[in-house]
Amino acid sequence: MAANFRLPVAESSEKREQIAFTFNGQQVMGYEGEPIAVALWACGIKTIRSCGATAQPRGVYCGIGHCYECRAQVDGVANVRTCMTPLSRGTSVSSSSDWHIEGA
Amino acid sequence: MNVDVAIIGSGPAGLAASIELAESGLSVVILDEYYRPGGRLLGQRYEDPKAPETEREWDGMKLALELVEQARKRQVEIRCGVTVWSVSPGWKIELGGADEKTVHAKAVLLATGAAERALPMPGWTLPGVVSVGAAQTFTNLHHVAIGKSVMVVGVDPLAISVALEMKHAGVNVVGVAMAPRSPMTEKLSSPSHALSQLAKAADLAPNPLLRLMGRLAGGRLGKMAVHALRWPLLQIEGIPVDIRKAVARIEGEESVEAVILQSVSANGVPTGREERVEVDAVCLSAGLYPLIELAQVAGCSLVQVPELGGVVPLYGSDLSTTADGLYVAGNITGIEGAKVAMAQGKLAAVSIAQAMGKSPTLPKEEAIQAVKRARALSPIRFLPDVEQGLAKMERLWREAWLSKEGDEAWRM
Ligand SMILES: Cc1cc2nc3c(=O)[nH]c(=O)nc-3n(C[C@H](O)[C@H](O)[C@H](O)COP(=O)(O)OP(=O)(O)OC[C@H]3O[C@@H](n4cnc5c(N)ncnc54)[C@H](O)[C@@H]3O)c2cc1C
Ligand code: FES
Repeated sequence: MAANFRLPVAESSEKREQIAFTFNGQQVMGYEGEPIAVALWACGIKTIRSCGATAQPRGVYCGIGHCYECRAQVDGVANVRTCMTPLSRGTSVSSSSDWHIEGA
Repeated sequence: MNVDVAIIGSGPAGLAASIELAESGLSVVILDEYYRPGGRLLGQRYEDPKAPETEREWDGMKLALELVEQARKRQVEIRCGVTVWSVSPGWKIELGGADEKTVHAKAVLLATGAAERALPMPGWTLPGVVSVGAAQTFTNLHHVAIGKSVMVVGVDPLAISVALEMKHAGVNVVGVAMAPRSPMTEKLSSPSHALSQLAKAADLAPNPLLRLMGRLAGGRLGKMAVHALRWPLLQIEGIPVDIRKAVARIEGEESVEAVILQSVSANGVPTGREERVEVDAVCLSAGLYPLIELAQVAGCSLVQVPELGGVVPLYGSDLSTTADGLYVAGNITGIEGAKVAMAQGKLAAVSIAQAMGKSPTLPKEEAIQAVKRARALSPIRFLPDVEQGLAKMERLWREAWLSKEGDEAWRM
């Protein structure tokens, strides 16, 4: 993916390594431990799912867990808020459009 | 799990409270749904190179790391990635996203902070449209640009602050403009109102961020509001802030491609002319409101105090609520900056320790004074009339106690 939204960071002590994960079956790279939605956004993927009712594309809105717009299926678990779920190596993320309340 | 005190929220209020509680010998757990502790502190970062040296920088991340370290050193348990969905008297706390589903505590501190009001407008569900808080978090915490060219909608202290933060991080911020007029945005969409709120906020808090904003118009901010917006275009460090234009709608197929700007009158009525500006991201700002759901579930009285940001739990000067053993601190009590949240966290902890028969590290009266000092020195002020709001709260609290004398069943 050509797009890159990473900002230059002033010399930081933490050296981070990019790891691979998948989004809808496609391989993407991101930093371990950063929220999944951030890793996706950084390489230009802003659409995380489509709205169940209207099929319109949806993605991050609030970025901190309040709006549930960024939900996806993560390693088989449905309706995970990707803006606050840390990425790990090999995480499998896929768009989901069904809706029930997480944790209920 | 059984603890003396359960704190919900690991922002500045919750963390500061945990340190004080542990110091007075109580066992404490902090529960937070985000994947790391710190709350909104994590994304706060601004600099004013022209300020006196000690006030030049506000680095929330550094502060969060320090508070977390101090809390952990005192055996405070911090559990992240768990959502609290119920708090019931006794006190029983129910968790989602955790293996252990309940926590029992003798006292509970709600430090859940604030959320952003939505700003619905045509096109706002397109990918690439985010809240201004998301933009702040992406920029300062994750170091990811929200877009290559970004438009900010909403003219208020947080929106302007985040626009500056993005610009400093190297993002092209094409401008800040007003929200469009709709039944939901009456005041928000009025340039006169926005400007007078901004001027008030800048006057009240002579601090790095707002000094910056005060300077933005070369000190003309107050005058501008009075003189009915004769200078519609401000420049804040090179970012055009156009208070006489509103973003009428956001356009794009799969994601944001452009915004349509429209001229508006001094009170926000569209005056016709439209122009299209190409951007790939839009940040919406409609203000913050206290996150009170858990207070509601817990059964304490709630009151409507617009000066504090909306509906808030009814609380006393020691931050206790109408529910026995339930306390509040930070933005759940009203929208203010992080310094106030920290001082409130400490005050709530002092009150809890005292109620539980422990001796806190400082007298309650001193902790109350410390909150007032923090307010005076706050680097940011979101709502101009907080003092009036607090006075109202005091009155409502007194009235509630008076009526309680005659009526034991006073909970809402
Ligand atoms: C988007 C945004 C931007 C802001 N920017 C600034 C700024 O630049 N400068 C400034 O001084 N102030 C800013 N503020 C105000 C900010 O709220 C205060 O500075 C301060 O962080 C408030 O502290 P707090 O401890 O009350 O809450 P917060 O810092 O908001 O922390 C609350 C914590 O509670 C957790 N939580 C909430 N509900 C639950 C639940 N049900 N279960 C588990 N955990 C839960 C959240 O995950 C969060 O970590 C901002 C606020 C917002 C919302
Ligand atoms: S973007 Fe709002 S919950 Fe994730």
